[in-house]
Amino acid sequence: MNCEETHRLLEETFGTELDASLRLEVEGHLSRCSKCRSVARECLEFRSFFLASAPRYKASPQLRARVLATIRLERAKRGFPRRAQPWLCVAAGLVIALALTLTLLYPDNGKELSGLAVLDHSRSISANHLVDVASGDQHVVKPWFAAKLDFAPPVVDLPSAGFALLGGRVAVIRNRPVAAVVYRHKKGFVTLFCWPVNKDLVSDGDYSIDGYKVRTWSSAECNYIVVSERNGRGLNEFVDLFRDHLQSNPY
Amino acid sequence: MRDTQSLFEELFLPHLDDAYNLARWILERDQDAQDVVQEAYVRALKGFKGFRGTNPRAWLLTIVRNTAYSWTRKYPSNVISFDEGVHTAPTEQPLSESFHEERKRQLYEALSRLSVDFREVLLLYEIEGWSYKQIASTLKVPVGTVMSRLSRARRRLQQELARVQETAVKNEL
Repeated sequence: MNCEETHRLLEETFGTELDASLRLEVEGHLSRCSKCRSVARECLEFRSFFLASAPRYKASPQLRARVLATIRLERAKRGFPRRAQPWLCVAAGLVIALALTLTLLYPDNGKELSGLAVLDHSRSISANHLVDVASGDQHVVKPWFAAKLDFAPPVVDLPSAGFALLGGRVAVIRNRPVAAVVYRHKKGFVTLFCWPVNKDLVSDGDYSIDGYKVRTWSSAECNYIVVSERNGRGLNEFVDLFRDHLQSNPY
Repeated sequence: MRDTQSLFEELFLPHLDDAYNLARWILERDQDAQDVVQEAYVRALKGFKGFRGTNPRAWLLTIVRNTAYSWTRKYPSNVISFDEGVHTAPTEQPLSESFHEERKRQLYEALSRLSVDFREVLLLYEIEGWSYKQIASTLKVPVGTVMSRLSRARRRLQQELARVQETAVKNEL
């Protein structure tokens, strides 16, 4: 075995796993040739460098949300091939029919949803569980939601107006997971609940429930409910700023 | 209640990183890789009824690979072929960049100069740890072809890296 042949074999195997017959020949050559020994060492070093440094790309939270949304949409569109029991499908159909009927019977659901939002808001404060992701950086909070839910709510930071972003949590309002974005305002908290519009537009509303102030509205994409502390201070200011911001930075 | 949809998500969503990594190795561009992964998941969903295997990861990655290859046929300019891509202009790097980072960058550049076939076997064998047989069945080629392709890929990678380093040294002088 000559140098050239040894060199080629070493490169082709990254210096590892030669089969038995060749290994003897190569080892024989290496014992005699210091130049090829250093090539062999380089090849082994290269392999460990390659294993340590070769790129391992990770899917972004946005891609995760996108894939999840796509496969759920696809399923809704085409009807998913079913392995489930037929009676499950019938039951699911009934549940959907019932939900539709309720929505049709009670088109103005703003007040009821606001009541549920107030409940969640006050519970989060009394249980001292304001956020699941604590960050004042919208670029952290938004992707976090994208990974948790099948959508990403608009997250804006309005520090100059005295609303400091604290983070977000997933809340459940009428069996639907929604994004809850939490701000500190003076000594109190403001929670913005948001979920994508799905036929059920929340009407514009302004309520007082159990002492909390609530505003509701919807855009083309999302329904919004904002709940503020008991005295309602800053609520209207927050809603105006938030809506202005969305208008100048379309979601 | 465990319906088919949640079973699908449970089986395949955990492999999203691997799916994206494979697509990115083949296509190189982030946006292309994202589009391919999304399409692959839709294909997987449609073909899910036919999935009887025990290895959802390998099944998904095979679909990702096939989708990526259809993509390269649809948009051929995105793939660096055997003879092209050798004369990429070296990008300027700040001087403060550490030696390790610089070597890593050189490795990336060398990898991007390889043909997609070569990158793919390197990824599957060295990084993913697949066997020759697994690779052969996914690529639909004989085991011998996988072995020789891998040998040539390793050799080519080292040659390309040497070339990249040579250019870097020349630029410094």
